Amino acid sequence: MRPTETGDVPEAEAIRLAQQGDGAGFERLYQLHSRRVYSLCFRMVGNTTEAEDLTQEAFLQLFRKIGTFRGESAFSTWLHRLAVNVVLMKLRKKSGKEASLDELTEPDEEAGTAGRDFGGPDLKLSGSLDRVNLQRAIEQLPPGYKTAFVLHDVQGYEHNEIAEIMGCSIGNSKSQLHKARMRLRELLQETVRDKARAARRAAGMASAARDEE
Amino acid sequence: MSAIGCQEFLSRLDDWMEGKRPADTQAHWRECSRCRSVAGDFEAIREAARATAVLDAEPSPHVWPALRAQLEQEGLIHDRRERRAAGWRERLGAAFGIHPRPVLAGAYLTALVAVGVALVLPTGRQSSENPWMAHTRTATEPLQAHLASAAHDTISSLQSSDPVVAASLHQNLAIVDNYIALCEKSVSEEPDNEVARDYLYDAYHQKAALVAQMMERGEYGP
Repeated sequence: MRPTETGDVPEAEAIRLAQQGDGAGFERLYQLHSRRVYSLCFRMVGNTTEAEDLTQEAFLQLFRKIGTFRGESAFSTWLHRLAVNVVLMKLRKKSGKEASLDELTEPDEEAGTAGRDFGGPDLKLSGSLDRVNLQRAIEQLPPGYKTAFVLHDVQGYEHNEIAEIMGCSIGNSKSQLHKARMRLRELLQETVRDKARAARRAAGMASAARDEE
Repeated sequence: MSAIGCQEFLSRLDDWMEGKRPADTQAHWRECSRCRSVAGDFEAIREAARATAVLDAEPSPHVWPALRAQLEQEGLIHDRRERRAAGWRERLGAAFGIHPRPVLAGAYLTALVAVGVALVLPTGRQSSENPWMAHTRTATEPLQAHLASAAHDTISSLQSSDPVVAASLHQNLAIVDNYIALCEKSVSEEPDNEVARDYLYDAYHQKAALVAQMMERGEYGP
């Protein structure tokens, strides 16, 4: 976004201006927060066009309600809460059903994850993780896990802030994050296994070709 | 042998990630290769996640203009001129404790409609002598004269009953006149600039509103 005359206005002043309907105030708030909101949306949906639409929708909702902001919580927390709701609503529409946060997790999650963690062969992820694989794995997470993971591990929010953003308890935020990491580990290990299988297959084919020669 | 089992270690894994590592947890981590692997993977995932955040781009430049257009369409962003005019009205109302009455203000607004039409009418711009401004002056001069006369009468009548208010009104009138002069200068310099024309119309509007308020004040007293 190009720099404008709003560049140095502090957040509190920008909020006050926006509450008066001043376009410069809105623009400054957008400048300050659009990158993080867009990042959140992109990590949640994995598509730039959709992420931009969701960013626009989140800010639109924010600006419609800005008159009611009284500073009880941090502005960015409030904004992220709106953004998360916008994204979750979108994901719910995509899945074709209305669901609460509890339903946005896997159905068997309460059965515990410890047993599953030790089921497969032990593959170390360190060194084999790349951005694309991670994003693909994040996209496969249930929305509740995904939100907790993106807010905590990608965006660096603390559990008390995530609880406020997601409208849940701190314990619930911790639980969602733990399960998200466990699920991601499984998904990423699966990717590593697939790669290993493909490499073995390629090696086998090369060997067979050499034998034929 | 460590004091805790794998289940307990996993339940403490998030604390472990935050650097909370009591002795019994560390002991289990040293002894159990599988738990060590899980902890290592969690750390690798977190590091990769943090790295992706650094690389995240901004939304494309077309998002803000689209958002702004939507905000304007919904009336959430108020036009600068509207806010300034509203500000004038609020300040005047607050200063003098009066509010413009539709009947009185309406008389001036009727005249202003004519001015407004003159300001926005398409005009032949073939001449280099700024025909638009000349046309505008023709339309506004009678109004200006009428407003000046009304303002003079009102201030004169207030002078005896409330000299402080009269002085304030006089001062505000001078400010509005100055504003009109500046707007006229802008229009003279850029006769094709529609924003400048709008500002000039706004300036006349402000003067009309001020004079209407002054008359009301003079008629009904403090």
